[in-house]
Amino acid sequence: MANKILLVAQREYLENIRTKTFWLGILAFPAIFAIAIGVGWIMEKTKKTQVYTVADFTTNHLGAEVEAAARAGILLDILQGEAERQLPEDHPAVQQLQNIEPGMVEAGLKLMPEDVRAQLEQRLAQRKEKYRFDDLTRLGLADLPREELITRLNAMAKDGRLFGYFVFENDPVAELKGSISFVSENTNDNDLRDWYGRAATRVVQKKRIAAAGIDAKVARYIREPVVFPAEQPGEGADRKTVERADRARNLAPVAFVYLLWMAIFGAAQMLLTNTVEEKSNRIIEVLLSSCSPGELMAGKIWGIGATGLTMVVSWAVVGVIGMSLGAQVLPIIGELDLLGIARDPLYLASFIGYFLTGYLLFAAVLVAIGSVCNSLKEAQNLVQPVFLLLMVPLFAMFPIVQEPNGLMARVFTYIPLYTPFAMMNRASGPPPAWEYAATTVLILFSVWFAFKAAGKIFRVGVLMTGNPPKLKEILGWLKES
Amino acid sequence: MDHALTLQGVTKRFGSFTAVSDLSLQVPKGCIYGFLGQNGAGKTTTIRMVMSIFHQDSGTISVLGHSDASEVKDRLGYLPEEKGLYKKMKTAEIVAYFGKLKGMDRATANDKAKELLQRYGLGDWLDKKCEAMSKGMGQKVQILGTIVHDPDLVILDEPFSGLDPVNRDVMRDTILQMKREGRTVIFSTHVMEQAEQLCDEMMMIHKGRLAFAGTIAEIKAGRDHGIQIEYDGDGRVLRQLPGLDPTRLNDNNKSAELFLKEGEDPQEALRWLVDHLTIRRFDIREPSLHEVFVRTVAEKDAELAAAGRSR
Repeated sequence: MANKILLVAQREYLENIRTKTFWLGILAFPAIFAIAIGVGWIMEKTKKTQVYTVADFTTNHLGAEVEAAARAGILLDILQGEAERQLPEDHPAVQQLQNIEPGMVEAGLKLMPEDVRAQLEQRLAQRKEKYRFDDLTRLGLADLPREELITRLNAMAKDGRLFGYFVFENDPVAELKGSISFVSENTNDNDLRDWYGRAATRVVQKKRIAAAGIDAKVARYIREPVVFPAEQPGEGADRKTVERADRARNLAPVAFVYLLWMAIFGAAQMLLTNTVEEKSNRIIEVLLSSCSPGELMAGKIWGIGATGLTMVVSWAVVGVIGMSLGAQVLPIIGELDLLGIARDPLYLASFIGYFLTGYLLFAAVLVAIGSVCNSLKEAQNLVQPVFLLLMVPLFAMFPIVQEPNGLMARVFTYIPLYTPFAMMNRASGPPPAWEYAATTVLILFSVWFAFKAAGKIFRVGVLMTGNPPKLKEILGWLKES
Repeated sequence: MDHALTLQGVTKRFGSFTAVSDLSLQVPKGCIYGFLGQNGAGKTTTIRMVMSIFHQDSGTISVLGHSDASEVKDRLGYLPEEKGLYKKMKTAEIVAYFGKLKGMDRATANDKAKELLQRYGLGDWLDKKCEAMSKGMGQKVQILGTIVHDPDLVILDEPFSGLDPVNRDVMRDTILQMKREGRTVIFSTHVMEQAEQLCDEMMMIHKGRLAFAGTIAEIKAGRDHGIQIEYDGDGRVLRQLPGLDPTRLNDNNKSAELFLKEGEDPQEALRWLVDHLTIRRFDIREPSLHEVFVRTVAEKDAELAAAGRSR
C-alpha cells in the first residue's frame, strides 16, 4: 500500500520537477526580489541633481547664512550617516555626533592640516550631488528688481532649469510666518525642502538663542533630545543591550511566516490544479483501478508537498548565496547574522514542521475541492473563500510579531488553519513549551481529521461528472462511513 | 472454481436512484464476455463495483475467487470508457507506470512497456510525450497500459468507441489474443454486431436490472424468426407490407430485418416484396442481436410500466 502511495508521489514529484517552468518559477521569486531592490537603488543613483537658488530679500542676509549652514550640514550629514551605519546605535560617538552643530564642523575643517582638508574637499566633490546651489549671479539674475526677479525665477522653475527656489524676506528670525517660502513645480518630492528646512532651523535657533542671551552650552543642554536606549532583561539583575542583530532576530518570524505562506499557497494551488486536470482528463479512473482513492490522494499530496519543499529549499539556497554575496558589498547584511538566524534550530525545525502541517491541512481542503470540480474555472470559484482565509495570516503577521504572546497571537494559535502561521510568527517570543505541545497535538489532530474528511469527499467526488455537488450532498458523504 | 467473476444479488444506489438492482451473473474463465445495455443502464456502475472503485450496497461480488476485488486488483486490467493519459509523460514511461502501480518491479515494467510498444508498432514513440500522439495511438497506449501486467481478467468499457476501422481491428485482435492466452475479457459495448461476432457469452442490463444472460444461442433460443432482406429501391414501401408487425421493422436503407404478425405467411411477403423492390437476398432466420436488444428494451419498459401502474 505504502508502495503505491510512493509511486504516485514520485510520479507527481518528477512531473513537476522536470518542467522548465517549475525552475523558472522558483528563480522568478528571488529574481523579482532582487530586481525590486535593484530598481530602488538605481532610481536613487540616477535621481537628477536638484538645482535650486535663494532669493534673499532680508536686510541681514539670512539666506546666505542658511546656505552656508546647509553646505556645512552636508558634511555633518555624511558624518552622522556613516556613524549610524558603522557603529551600534548606542555608541557614544553616535550620540555625540547628534549634538554637533554645523558651525563646529566648519571650525573643525579650519583646524585641519591643509592637505587633509584638500583631500576631503576632493572626496566631497566626487560624491554625487543630491542638491546644487546656483547663485543668482550665475543664473544671470543679479541685481534685478524684486518683481522681475520672481517672474524670471518662476519661469525657470516652470521650464525645469531650477527644481525650485527659496524666498527669504522680512526678518525670519523674529517671525517665520510670511517670511519664508519654497517655490517649486514638484510638490511631491520634499527632500530638498526638508533638508533646507533643517539647515535654516539651525541658523534661526542659533540666532534666537544668541538674541535671548543664552549661553550656547546651556542651549545645547536644553535641546538635547531624549532617546531611551533599548535593553532586554538578562540573567538575574543583568540587562543586555539590544543590538541590530537582535532586532533582526525578533523580526525574523515575519520573514519566515511570509516564506511559509508563499510555500503553502504555491504548493496548495499546484495540488488543486493538478487534481482538477487529472479529473478532467479522465485518467483518474484508470488509477483508481490500481490503487484506492486514499492511496491516490495521499500520493498526490505527498508528491506535491515534496515539490513545495523543493521550492522552499531552492529559495533558501538562492537566499544563502545572495546573502553571502551581499555581505561582501554591504557589511550590514553580515552584521545582522541572518544566516545565523536561519541556522537556528528553533526556526529551522519550526519552519519545516509548520510547512508540512500547514500544507497538509490546506492540501486536504483543496484536494477535496479539486475532486468535486470538473474544470479549473469551477474550482477557482469554489476555492476563493479558502484563499481569502489563507490571506488572514499575512495581515496578522506584524501585530503578532509585535506582541508574540498577546491575546491576538494566542487566539490565532488555536484556530487550526492558522496554527502553523501563528506559532511560526510567535517564535521570537517564544511561546512556553506547553503551548508547543498543545498546538502540536491540535495540529496533528486537525490534519488527521482533514485527511479523513477529504478522503471521503475525494472518493465520491473524483468520479463525479456534471454540476459540482451542493454543500448538503457533501455533508451527506461525510456522514457515510 | 471456473468463474472469473460472480455477482450475486448486487444492488447499488446513489441517493434515491437505483443504478443496479439485484444483479446476478457469472462470467466463465477464459471467455470473452459482453456487457450490453443502453446508455445509463448500469454497465459502468457494475464494472466499477467489480473493480472495487465503488462498493455495492448489498449482494456479493467474487472476482477471481476473492470476495474483495481490492485483494486481486493487481491481477485485473481495466480500461475505462473515458480514457486519459498524462500528456507530459513519455509513452514508455506511462505504460511502465501503470505496470508498477499493478505491483510490477521497476525493471520488469520498463522492459515490458518497451516490448509491448514495439510489438504494437509504436517503437518509434517510446521517448515521445503522449501529447504528441494521435487519438488512435493514444488509445493503443492506454490499452497497453491495461494489459502490461498480464492480468487474468481484463475489463474494457466501450473499447471500440472512437476507433477507426484499422484500430478497431487492432483492438479486436488484441482481445482475441488475450483469450488465446487464457485470460478472461469482459467488454461493454453498444455495437451489437461486435458483440455478436466476438462474445462467447453476454448479458444485457436494462435500467439496472438483468434483462438476459447466456451464450448467443441461448439468448436467441425461443425467439421468433425474422425475415432478413437485402434490397434496392425505396425502403419506405416496406411499411405497407401486408402482415408486417409495424413495431418490428429495422430498415437500414439497403438491408432490413422485419417480422410478420403471427400466422402470416413469409411466402406471401416474399411475393409482395419482389413486386415492390429489387430483392437481392431473402433469409428467414433467428433474430439479430440488434433485434433482440431493441425488443428486450421495449418488453422491459412495458413490464416496468405495468408494474408501475399496478402499484
